[in-house]
Amino acid sequence: MRRTSRLLVASLLAFGAAVPAATASELVVGFTRDADTLDPANHRKRETETIIRNMYDGILTRDSDMNILPELAVSYTQVSPTVYEFKIRDGVTFHDGSAMTAEDVKFTLERLTAEGGMGDGQTSPRKSLLGPLSGVEVVDGSTVRVTLSEPWPLLPAMLPFQEVVSKAFVEKVGTEGMATQANGTGPFKLVEWRKGDSIIMERFDGYYGGAPGIEPADKACVDRVIFKIIPESASRVAALLSGDVHIINELPPFSVEQVKNSPNADVVTVNGTRSFFIALNTQGEIFDDLRVRQAVAHAIDKNLIIDKILGGNAESIAGILSPDAFGKNDNLPEYAYDPDKARALLAEAGYPDGIEVTMDTEGAFKDTAEAIASLLTRAGIKTQVTVGEGALLSQKWRTKGGEKTGDMFFTSWGNGSLDPEGIFVPTHVTAARGNSAGYSNPEIDKLLTEAATEVDREKRAAMYQQAEAIANADLPYVYLWVPQDIYGVSKRLSGWTPSADSRINLHDACLK
Amino acid sequence: MSLARLIERLLQLVPVLLGVSVIVFVMITLTPGDPVEIMIGDQVVTPELEAAMRHDLGLDRPVHERFFVFLGNAVQGDFGESFYHRRPVIDVIAERLPATIELSLVALLIALATAIPLGVLAAIKRNSVLDRLATVGSLLGVSLPGFWFGILLLMLFAVHLQLLPVSGRIGFSSEIEPITHFLLIDTLLRGRPDAFLDALSHIVLPAITLGLPMTAILMRVTRTSMLEVMRQDYVTFAEAKGLARHRVLFRHALKNALIPTVSVAAIETGSLLGGNMIVETVFGWPGLGRLVVESIFVRNYPLVQAAVLFYAVTYVMLNFVADILYTVLNPRVKL
Repeated sequence: MRRTSRLLVASLLAFGAAVPAATASELVVGFTRDADTLDPANHRKRETETIIRNMYDGILTRDSDMNILPELAVSYTQVSPTVYEFKIRDGVTFHDGSAMTAEDVKFTLERLTAEGGMGDGQTSPRKSLLGPLSGVEVVDGSTVRVTLSEPWPLLPAMLPFQEVVSKAFVEKVGTEGMATQANGTGPFKLVEWRKGDSIIMERFDGYYGGAPGIEPADKACVDRVIFKIIPESASRVAALLSGDVHIINELPPFSVEQVKNSPNADVVTVNGTRSFFIALNTQGEIFDDLRVRQAVAHAIDKNLIIDKILGGNAESIAGILSPDAFGKNDNLPEYAYDPDKARALLAEAGYPDGIEVTMDTEGAFKDTAEAIASLLTRAGIKTQVTVGEGALLSQKWRTKGGEKTGDMFFTSWGNGSLDPEGIFVPTHVTAARGNSAGYSNPEIDKLLTEAATEVDREKRAAMYQQAEAIANADLPYVYLWVPQDIYGVSKRLSGWTPSADSRINLHDACLK
Repeated sequence: MSLARLIERLLQLVPVLLGVSVIVFVMITLTPGDPVEIMIGDQVVTPELEAAMRHDLGLDRPVHERFFVFLGNAVQGDFGESFYHRRPVIDVIAERLPATIELSLVALLIALATAIPLGVLAAIKRNSVLDRLATVGSLLGVSLPGFWFGILLLMLFAVHLQLLPVSGRIGFSSEIEPITHFLLIDTLLRGRPDAFLDALSHIVLPAITLGLPMTAILMRVTRTSMLEVMRQDYVTFAEAKGLARHRVLFRHALKNALIPTVSVAAIETGSLLGGNMIVETVFGWPGLGRLVVESIFVRNYPLVQAAVLFYAVTYVMLNFVADILYTVLNPRVKL
């Protein structure tokens, strides 16, 4: 009996020993996924970059309105269609106290883009993010000249995705050491990486303040930042509500009300960069007819689904580009919700009794897909939703021009750079990687290929607008919406707003 | 049991493990989905770069060649490099393993500590209200999905009562220099009772969630075998001799009734590993299960192969241990 009571006391103690509330200057982010590595040049995951970005600064960055601003550069100029020059900031130090120079910037870019640039014959998996970058040289003490093998107007939009490393440090620890150590110029320095559990950082007191364009350009506000990995959304919400964490990403729409009603947390949203659409197999027997594709577009009440299923947290689109993207055509005609018209179009196409089709989607979007299917069915397009795993569906639909089976694919494409090149080309150019619809229009191919290297911004934007108008008429996809990214934040938090590229920069975040 | 028999049994494990390696390799390779495609995601890349990435990961070689390279290296303990972490798979797994083992052991302890007393009690008070409750409870225990039960526990103890933390293994302020990498042990070895309680408060909910189905099964087993033993002649004889009831129950009956419980527990410990994937995801537990789930989705072949092989070895070894335990506890059975 005495043993039992001792056990009881021990377990009671355990229950009372919950973590004490974080001190005022310890900011905890409940985050979906751990970093794969801490090496800025050796990963392909946005979550990894979000974590790394708090310890490493880049040549350029973006503010939360997605404007491109110089960060470790003071300024940059485009000298010719294929040459850019970056003036590198003076007086910036790495966390180990050494000075950051133009040589480090050159080293960083070469490590990212040279064949075998990572050592051991390995090439950086991020090379493709820097397109035709072919040469880097330091022209005087603080100017770095970047040469491209062909004109590529995307360079400034893509540079915020890369972070500057210390040449001396990489040479010292090697690519192997870079995986678990961090020596950046960012507002926080690494304290400890408890793999799979959390990444703990503390304020870097030698910080230069970051991009002057993002106020206040000073040292970080909080003493410590912790990215705590909580993959399950219900648990992430629980951690926010209990006060264990102060920011959570990927708040599910069905938990929005719960968080809004809680006394200590709130919901913030930002337009995302991922466009959702239904790919119609234009090579298939049914959807090679434009009238049938139009029938699908008219049968879907986008606003109803946005309101009822997505909790109002999405913006409707009539073309592939998201509302904030460069070159977005704002005058695209909408296919209004009109089930009678859909039926009429089907009858015209030779299907007076309607059609029977399937729609593929991933498990995460099953609810939405089911809702769309019921709308379609009501308009005579009897739709069966089949759920598949992401990698499997990619293989089935993204055939790069090869033959496809299947009728419809409810899917999405992300575009963190907000430049059409990153989303329009892969989904609409003939036989491109993400062209699930099997769409092919030489006119679009020509426009998009020429726009990629057009240096005149206005001309370039006009080309994309024209391409969007053509795609809107051809309708290889039914363009649906761009969901907002939803975050839960503690009411104690200030100085942080989410940004469309889903990075969580905590430089200016404070806790009260 | 003779040493020769033991060695023979161990040698029998070799073909089993070889078979498992073949199955694991074939299954993961045949699973549709291309790691390079997944890695590229929504990006535009040139075919040359795609080919270079494929080459970097060794995926440009024919499947049979990859298999023999995998097998040859695996025998030497080299499982290749994780596609995403860009470090040896064995290192990545080793970092996550202690958390999983610690959680499984605590779950096992909780299961044993609740299942045996409850099972015995249910047997003694057969057909009583208590027995009925235990039966219903164990049915629920086996049927409740772990992710749902775990979230219920979280909502109650972490959000409403705010007694226990939501996720993780230990608080950020309890930094402990690792010795064994088992936090409950390390915190004590370092003389940090505060950190020990912190770690304990983190492990309670996931361990209960993980151990629940096992508790239910063990309770049923204990109850049944206890009832059986209590019908044996020697128990009747002991009672007839006038021995005190508790002496009969615990000295004579329980000792024999526990034999099946122990071997079922050993086998069930293997299935704790499977349950870990869900529980670790719900509670943000930094263990192997979650790593494997993440790796399957991105087709991180080397890591999944090594982890599944590890699971298989553990399972086979636990069965082996169960067999041995059985012969030790019950000398009438020969291996």
